[in-house]
Amino acid sequence: MIVAERKPFEEVRAMVKDFKKVLTVGCGTCVAVCLAGGEKEVGVLNAELKIARRRQGDPIETGGVTVERQCDMEFLEALDGIVDEYDAIISMACGAGIQLIAERFPEIPVFPGVDTSFIGVNREVGWYEEKCRACGSCVLGMTAGICPVTMCAKGLFNGPCGGTNKGSCEINADQPCAWQRIHERLAKQNRLQNIIDICPPNDWRNQTPRTIVQPGYKDRLAAFGIK
Amino acid sequence: MTQETQMETINLSTDVLVVGAGMTGVKAASEIAASGYRVVLIDAGAGLGMAAGPSVADLDGEEQATLEALLETVNGSEMIEVMTGTRMDGAAGVPGDFRVWLSGNDDIVEKNVGAIVVASELVACPLNEAYGLNLSDTVVSQSQLEAALRENPSAFSGKSVAFMVGLAQDGNPLVLERVLKSVLAVENMVDTSAYVFAGDLKVAEDGLERLYLECRDKGAMYFKLNEIPAVTQEGRSLSITYDDPVLQRKVQLVPDVIVVEEAIGADQVNAALAEMLNIDVGSMGFLQTDNVHRYPVSTNREGIFVVGGSRRVKKRYGALMDVQNAAIRVRSLLGDGTITVPANKAVLDTGKCTFCLTCLRCCPHGAIDWSADNKPVISAVACQGCGICAAECPMDAIQIGDFNDAEMIDRVTQSAANTTEGSPTIVAFCCQNSGLEAARMAESFGMPLPKGLKTVAVPCAGKVDIGYVMHALAEGADGVVIMACHNGNCKSEKGSLYASWRAANAKGMLEAIGIEENRICFATTASNMGADFSGILMEMEKTLTGK
Repeated sequence: MIVAERKPFEEVRAMVKDFKKVLTVGCGTCVAVCLAGGEKEVGVLNAELKIARRRQGDPIETGGVTVERQCDMEFLEALDGIVDEYDAIISMACGAGIQLIAERFPEIPVFPGVDTSFIGVNREVGWYEEKCRACGSCVLGMTAGICPVTMCAKGLFNGPCGGTNKGSCEINADQPCAWQRIHERLAKQNRLQNIIDICPPNDWRNQTPRTIVQPGYKDRLAAFGIK
Repeated sequence: MTQETQMETINLSTDVLVVGAGMTGVKAASEIAASGYRVVLIDAGAGLGMAAGPSVADLDGEEQATLEALLETVNGSEMIEVMTGTRMDGAAGVPGDFRVWLSGNDDIVEKNVGAIVVASELVACPLNEAYGLNLSDTVVSQSQLEAALRENPSAFSGKSVAFMVGLAQDGNPLVLERVLKSVLAVENMVDTSAYVFAGDLKVAEDGLERLYLECRDKGAMYFKLNEIPAVTQEGRSLSITYDDPVLQRKVQLVPDVIVVEEAIGADQVNAALAEMLNIDVGSMGFLQTDNVHRYPVSTNREGIFVVGGSRRVKKRYGALMDVQNAAIRVRSLLGDGTITVPANKAVLDTGKCTFCLTCLRCCPHGAIDWSADNKPVISAVACQGCGICAAECPMDAIQIGDFNDAEMIDRVTQSAANTTEGSPTIVAFCCQNSGLEAARMAESFGMPLPKGLKTVAVPCAGKVDIGYVMHALAEGADGVVIMACHNGNCKSEKGSLYASWRAANAKGMLEAIGIEENRICFATTASNMGADFSGILMEMEKTLTGK
């Protein structure tokens, strides 16, 4: 899932300092699962804003709504009648959700309530680890299920480099060397040949804004004239 | 619960799994079967009653006779299915509907049971290394001595036997009883003498002091030492040199046999069982944490009971008393196969639920399972209504009985907004097991309390949502106090902890806002500590008045 973390309060306060009525919109999917932007966090952020602004002698009115997913336009319809009552929106969704809200309500300033951090896994309640950089060309089959783009500081496809240090990465003793881990797991699976084989470079030109239309749906889009 | 509380009736499996077929387990199986429930009795060993445990020095064979009578009952009972050479491989589900996987020599069977009783026996571990001795013909452990006394007591005739006890570990009545029974057996032989080198003698059990005196009267010599005496062991010959406390000089004794004491502890199998059953492990590897709110044999999970040596060092009669207690708990849970419970203990809004697993991971009672359609299911039987899950849920998708979020927010809003002229408004979230009772006590005893105090009851401090704390301050409260149970005294084990973590988090938020963090106070108390409650709240009023 996409993992986010709540923006420092000071940053949020500064963004909405000129507004008197703010609607905070939570997202009930990834950011709810990672405890950053679900219904509870919406309530807490609104309370923080109220406390801070009252102390400043400049009270703020807040509203809170949490939608199923901010990255689908249909779910944003729920906000249609509501946003007009507000001067600004704080979206607690990932960057994708924030942008779709901003697109749907172009007249109203939309501010991010969270920093979208990474694609990762949930280790325990409140504990997440980055696992994927969305490079667009997965090599996990070669690398025993350990992502060198994410875990190797250099993002090497053919490692390790000279900086591998007794299982750690040269950048930090607490950071495991991705390629050491890859080696260990490949050895366990009897697939060390993968280390010797050259893994071709990723086409990093793919990092321009990407659009995907799944193969079965190109005709559908064309038929309905959707662009 | 209010009068209108909806009740629901739930069907339960009435079969019971008993894990461990030592004497305690065998007794548990027969007691529970006698209540009319089918029992599956498993043991990793090859036969029943093999793991007799070290809790009794069965020199007179009384123990064996009792066990044999029990085995006859169990083997003759149609209600008891005995599976030897069988271990538990895994467990899932909730009380009344546990699924357990039992693996024998070649296959795994799944059973559906309503309750589980863990009856692992105590394990004895000789402490010869601590005494610097190697076990040999002449240096034996307490267990080895007992076996030898049973099999061939005449071998000790004319021998001098030295016992080492309470020097390599803290004294323990159970350990001492075994030693003294052997001492008596030795002293009862002609020309045989017993010497007891003891650090301390813990006699706090029925009849132990009498046994101690009886041994002394028969001629046993006791030496109270402050440290382990110097012992030389060369082949079969032994020599003990000790500072005699009476003669005040070094004395040498050359015994024929040295008997070293044994530590009595938990079976190592407990750790794996605890993990499978999702129950808390207490000190020394025993399967129970100290919790005064629970029945003696209860665990943090309803429907899973621990008896005898699986929960602490117990003498046989204590273990058998546990069995009686467990049988009562099983009867009260499983009844006639149905149970009627409040339907609104914890209700999940599956539409809101985003299945983040937070509730499953946080529930201290293992009351939350998940269904085939990937939604959490809260067992109304297992749920204790503490509200930890509800307060942790990022979507506020779980509502607790009389403490649902809408009503709680209402109560908080009213409490915060209802100000008293000239006095700071303090919203105090009070655990109904401690803080709320303490508040009532303070009030009825006329102890000083802040004029602006508003108490808000919670079922457990674990229900104090960080959202409530922040909302109270946002709605105008000058301060918030969370009155939780003392560490280790929380009925839900971890409710106070969760509340303390949330309070710390909320304080951090206030600091980030630029507001004094001491507007939030987390404190622990007990139901009988009215003065303490009064003191904490008056202190809070003073803090807030100074602002």
